[in-house]
Amino acid sequence: MNAQLWALAAAGIVVLAAACLEVVRSRRARAHTLGVVAGPASDPYILYFTGDGCTVCRTHQEPALAKLGPVRIDKVDAIAERTLADRFHVYTLPTTVVMSPEGRALHVNYGYATAPKLERQLAEARGAGIPATAPA
Amino acid sequence: MSTGFVDHSALKVNQTGIVATVLVAFVGSALYRPLLVLIPLLAVVLLLGTFAPQLALFKQLYFKVLKPRGIVTPRPVPDKPEPHNFAQGLGGVFLAVASAFLPPLAVVGLAIALLVAVLAFVNLAFGYCLGCQIYYQLGKRGLIRATRSSETTGTP
Repeated sequence: MNAQLWALAAAGIVVLAAACLEVVRSRRARAHTLGVVAGPASDPYILYFTGDGCTVCRTHQEPALAKLGPVRIDKVDAIAERTLADRFHVYTLPTTVVMSPEGRALHVNYGYATAPKLERQLAEARGAGIPATAPA
Repeated sequence: MSTGFVDHSALKVNQTGIVATVLVAFVGSALYRPLLVLIPLLAVVLLLGTFAPQLALFKQLYFKVLKPRGIVTPRPVPDKPEPHNFAQGLGGVFLAVASAFLPPLAVVGLAIALLVAVLAFVNLAFGYCLGCQIYYQLGKRGLIRATRSSETTGTP
């Protein structure tokens, strides 16, 4: 029984360490990505990084994106468009980036992002898109 | 991005089989040590199933028994089989390493086997496939050729 308990402890430590590393990694990638500039648009839009082998993209992310209503979604094959994926530090799929109308990355979601979360980020992006100096 | 279809129920049955086998080996070996033999056996099953789908024990159980009898409902999803096969192969390799550690250092072998079971469970419960993410990273670095298939897969 001792071997089982030690093995359980060792596996638990590895899982915890991996979870911590993932948190650090996503924070670093997010910090590098926020503010990265792409093409401007009339409204906030979403860069959606996906790939042929991404199952969660099809089973979870795409249905969530479909719930968003009228918003421009630029679907990017992360392997074919490697340079663009690297610019946004895409290390996992799916990755969704909410872009401001000026083409600045405002929110980055590494991994599956729910529809309410994307809605909230889009609403913030719409707010951020309002010019700071309103015409008199 | 052209894809075929993968029956995700077959994948779920496979993941359930992995989790159940490792758990039986892990808990059972505390009472009856020879049950540890299930870990090398599972490694063989996963590795054989990676290269010859007709030898994938749990998927065959699904296709030959569970699906025809309506016990598990098919769930075909537009997907590619390669990342899942890669993940299964990776699980098989890790279990083979675990098996090598079992005679001299059972704790390490059991810990590795347990990690494989945890990852299979995470995939089963949350749909997060670590092996598929590694496949993506390798594809991105050009270490794995990203194949574009259009065939219907997930069937024996």
